[in-house]
Amino acid sequence: MPHRLEITLKPELIDAEGETLRRKAMDYFGIAVEGVRTVAVITIDAELTPAQLETIRTEIFTNPVTQMSSYAPLPLAFDWMVWIGYRPGVRDNPGSTAVEAIEDMLSIGLGPEDGIYTSKRYCLTGPALTAEDAEKIAGELLANDIIQQWQVTAAADWDPEVGIGVIIPKVRLDHVPTVTTLPIDSDATLREISDERNLALNPNDIPTIRKYFLDADVQQQRAAVDLADPTDLELEYISQARSDHCNHNTFQGLFHYSEPCRGHQETVDNLFKSCIQAPTLTLQKQKDWVVSVLWDNAGVGRFDDEHYYVITGETHNSPSNMEAYGGAITGIVGVYRDPMGTGRGARLLMGGYGYCVGPREYDGDLKPHLHPRRLLDGVIEGVRDGGNKSGIPTTCGQVLFNPKYLGKCLVFVTAIGLMPAEVQGEAAEKKTTSPDDLIIMCGGRVGKDGIHGVTASSEIFSENTPAGHVQIGDPYTQKKMHDFLLEARDEGLIRFITDNGGGGLSSSIGESALFSNGCEVELEKVPLKYAGLDQWEIWISESQERMTVAVRPDDLDRFMALSRKHSVESTVIGRYTDTGKLHVAYQGRNCAYVDLDLLKSGFPQWEFDAVWRSPEERGLFEPAIGRPADFGRLLLDILARPNICSREWVPRQYDHEVQGGSVIKPLVGVGRNIPSDASVIRPVLTSDAGLALAQSLLPTYSAIDAYHMIAGVIDEGLRRVLAVGGDLDHVGGVDNFCWPNIQYDPVKNPDGRFKAAQLVRACRALKDICLAYAIPLLSGKDSMYVDGNLPGRYGITHKISAPETMQFSAISRVPDVKACMSMEAKQAGDQVYLVGLTRDELGASEYYEHLGYIGLNVPRVDPEAFLPVYRALQTAIARSLTASVRGIYRGGLAVHAALVAMGGGLGLTLDLAGVPVDGDLPDDRILFSESAGRFLVTVDPARQAAFEALFEGLALARIGSVTAAPELIVNGQEGGELLKLDLEALTQAWEQTYGEMI
Amino acid sequence: MTAKVRALVLTGFGLNCDLETAYALELAGAAADRVHINTLIDGGVRLEDYQIMAFGGGFSWGDDHGAGVLQAVRMRTNLGASLLSFVANQGLIIGICNGFQTLVNLGLLPGFDGDYQTRSIALTYNDCGNFRDDWVHLSIDPDSPCVFTRGMETIDLPIRHGEGKFYAEAAIIESLMQNRQVVLRYADAAGKPAEGRFPLNPNGSLGDIAGVCDPTGRIFGLMPHPEAFNHWTNHPDWTRKAETRRREGRPPFADTLTPGIRLFENAVRHIADR
Repeated sequence: MPHRLEITLKPELIDAEGETLRRKAMDYFGIAVEGVRTVAVITIDAELTPAQLETIRTEIFTNPVTQMSSYAPLPLAFDWMVWIGYRPGVRDNPGSTAVEAIEDMLSIGLGPEDGIYTSKRYCLTGPALTAEDAEKIAGELLANDIIQQWQVTAAADWDPEVGIGVIIPKVRLDHVPTVTTLPIDSDATLREISDERNLALNPNDIPTIRKYFLDADVQQQRAAVDLADPTDLELEYISQARSDHCNHNTFQGLFHYSEPCRGHQETVDNLFKSCIQAPTLTLQKQKDWVVSVLWDNAGVGRFDDEHYYVITGETHNSPSNMEAYGGAITGIVGVYRDPMGTGRGARLLMGGYGYCVGPREYDGDLKPHLHPRRLLDGVIEGVRDGGNKSGIPTTCGQVLFNPKYLGKCLVFVTAIGLMPAEVQGEAAEKKTTSPDDLIIMCGGRVGKDGIHGVTASSEIFSENTPAGHVQIGDPYTQKKMHDFLLEARDEGLIRFITDNGGGGLSSSIGESALFSNGCEVELEKVPLKYAGLDQWEIWISESQERMTVAVRPDDLDRFMALSRKHSVESTVIGRYTDTGKLHVAYQGRNCAYVDLDLLKSGFPQWEFDAVWRSPEERGLFEPAIGRPADFGRLLLDILARPNICSREWVPRQYDHEVQGGSVIKPLVGVGRNIPSDASVIRPVLTSDAGLALAQSLLPTYSAIDAYHMIAGVIDEGLRRVLAVGGDLDHVGGVDNFCWPNIQYDPVKNPDGRFKAAQLVRACRALKDICLAYAIPLLSGKDSMYVDGNLPGRYGITHKISAPETMQFSAISRVPDVKACMSMEAKQAGDQVYLVGLTRDELGASEYYEHLGYIGLNVPRVDPEAFLPVYRALQTAIARSLTASVRGIYRGGLAVHAALVAMGGGLGLTLDLAGVPVDGDLPDDRILFSESAGRFLVTVDPARQAAFEALFEGLALARIGSVTAAPELIVNGQEGGELLKLDLEALTQAWEQTYGEMI
Repeated sequence: MTAKVRALVLTGFGLNCDLETAYALELAGAAADRVHINTLIDGGVRLEDYQIMAFGGGFSWGDDHGAGVLQAVRMRTNLGASLLSFVANQGLIIGICNGFQTLVNLGLLPGFDGDYQTRSIALTYNDCGNFRDDWVHLSIDPDSPCVFTRGMETIDLPIRHGEGKFYAEAAIIESLMQNRQVVLRYADAAGKPAEGRFPLNPNGSLGDIAGVCDPTGRIFGLMPHPEAFNHWTNHPDWTRKAETRRREGRPPFADTLTPGIRLFENAVRHIADR
């Protein structure tokens, strides 16, 4: 008989979770809840004796100091009660740890039919609360119907004996695993199968697939293993491997690019090869610190002779868009497996995030699946739990609001790891599989979760997108596996390692088998969460927290002993071969027998028409605006804008100090509330060298030209790491493209050709700027189809495409962290310098956006002119000639000067007459121009001469001084005072938007 | 030369501050080993070979069912007797963050009257309702028996937790105060008690309590992370302080161990001197 334990805080304790809910109900919906008490519910579906039940109640599940509990419903008063539980099959992390604890405490083993399930009920009080209010709180604050179920009960309907009843979300499939053979008698048949089974096969691939299976030799070989037409598992394997997510068909496509206005036409073959691979290989030859790029799960750079760092970045947009918490935690925990699966495996060192969402205050007519406010809350919490519980500092991140992300949000996650240069005398960045190596799956078990994630993320979001790919990451299971694998690595037991992410075993085994040239998998050995999965489901399930490892037979016993020590499940599921075949069987019956080189040959290249129309052609122009009369108010209003204002509440929730290496924190200054240019950590505690990490996003610039968006983003990332003390000669990049669909369709995607042209231009900028700055791309990913069809008024759906976006992550080795620089003004009397030239470049700026314009003059990056300035600044920082350094980014000089003052708790007096300007610029343009290549620097007067000497002949000017009086004063070019604002007013404006959030 | 003081740092099951805790102990002069909880349980490593034991930070068992709760269950079930004899043999125990949460759930704290098994204090959800990473000022009771904080009056350290609110019945808190077991209290920059003011007191801890010891002073639990203040460059004000020192013609960093490391050094000296 199942048992249901209820636990709650004693009434004298504040219920912080309940309080948060109460506050949100008021802030988000204006619903006045007087009080909320939370009850944790543990449903035990196992035969336990009364004595055992009492033992686990008192010893495990009830804190005698703070909690009370009962196997009968707790008699808490409420007007409305909301119960929330998971749907069957959704990962219930506390349920799993409860099993572990009960088994340990009672020295018993629970059977496969037993289970522990956690849920919660919320007791809401408030006499004015209605059923609609309670439903709204349940459905729009607490639960997401994709993963959860709920009940709303009025006080009058509550049976104190029965309570919520006993709800057991157990998965029951009652299904005999079956391999299905699929007919391929015509292209049309296969196309139908693809649609029915959600294979998302590209129509152009279908003839190639058929041709393979109809080949006489192939058929003969298949007949020998009792196979004829392709099996469902085989087609799923091909579908996964050929998906845009795995195969990057768009970036490897053929682009027919034209610029009709100047009669220009050309064919661009394979953006990945020409704009990413080629420049990176060129730079790898020049830079001996580039250890391993372009082939593994992450790129590898040299930190010092004994250590390499590993970096990669990813997005997890589609799942987060549907279930924000689950999508984001799965995203961050998932990207952390990439360094673990790079070379022989890396220890995780730090992480970063970037969220692009619709306006938090959105109250328009479009109805996204999750309101942006709720979506952002969930995403923030997902990365919080995923990062914090992994013991990895989240040192860097950004949040960007734009209504164009209502269609699909972007969730960027970045991971950095550290590996020894050598493992047992072998190069740690190299790995391979060899015939007879065993295929071992480690970590979590396989369930139906995450099926077709890869193909779903290669599609545009609609209400019909299958929800099966939404999961909840489990950082606890992964952390155990992480610790285990590092120990196995150090003993030299790992020959090859890669993660099971998109595509599951299909991808991890399919790709690792290319090294040995073959594999044999016994699929029945794969441990399952529950029985009844079809073979193809086991093969492609994306159940999380799993790695695939190649181990030599002689090392198996030791590997398994370490696995047991760390309480990690590891299972031999096959072996690598050199037969050239991907060979999968289930209980002795073959379900796949495919030539591995099938994927390498014969598939047609994707083709795109790309038509560029210049901004002028598109009717963009510079606004005709006059001089502001109230500069002070203008600056305060810009400081309060959502993309400029303080978003301290986000990084505050993230552990950015774990591992003990924090040097420059994400928030700095006397009030520890100003975002730093970049973060710096000391990855090896016995060394003074560091790693600086920064990220940048400028999607609004794409409204003018995605070329300059990319150039600006890279320049910003570079300046950010330089500002804290990075090394111009050792900066690596990670490009994460998020692009709307570029395939032209007259009805569904009428501007597809333009978006394709933007992609071509963007990739060219990536190549040009990375080569000019000598920044190798250590890693990168692309996520296409960032579009959504949202219902609006009159039941009309609208396609919302995200702006063409790339997040750039810059990482730099810092030679000596003791010389690192922070951005805040340090002492009154210091000189203020502006480094770099200010131009009439306000196109797509925050200032124009504030006034409702786009403009035309987008900031341009001129590496040749900027580089000598950057080099001089790096020297100045290394020699401790600067007191503070701040890059001038979005919002321009006025915004960043305000931040430098607020950070230091000191005033600044600036004279715009001194600013080095290209041509004549009115005062407002100097203050809000977003010209690239610039920094604001403060310098001790005693070091003024030495500092200035470094910039001989370069764009540098002293434009003011730091003052003890806590005021920002700006004098115009004609001498009059443009604005005078005290720090209190600046801080108040900057914090008013989201300052109350915790 | 005498043998080094040996310190054991627990690992496994979601614990995560083991590398820097071991590093801090090494800086403080100890020989530190990171030991998996299962290795202690299966006897591969014996607790009695160590003089200092560190329950470090992290999310043991994901912090499900209460932070530190399941770690305490596993330790008590499988290692209860050897923990008690480690205490009886005057070993030193430090519990940091998740380790502190584990110590109170084991009953090793508060340890009134030699009772090291009763749970009477708790660390529960922050009043602010969220996980929080920030640096805090702490005042240290100079009359506390705590061996870790000898000779120290204030310290700045980072906190990083969602469940750090110190809670106990009034009578328990009264006893802790009387016994001088309240070692660390959240304070303002001048060392005056925070008196519950957020964010000086980041979690709503009763009595601003951030760390307590047992009556012998040999078992110490605290929410802030001393191991994360292992270099001067960890402190949030270091760039400003270094700049000031440079202008005064002094080297940018003091040539001493950080206050965070001094906590560990006190422990190592205590063992070495006895």
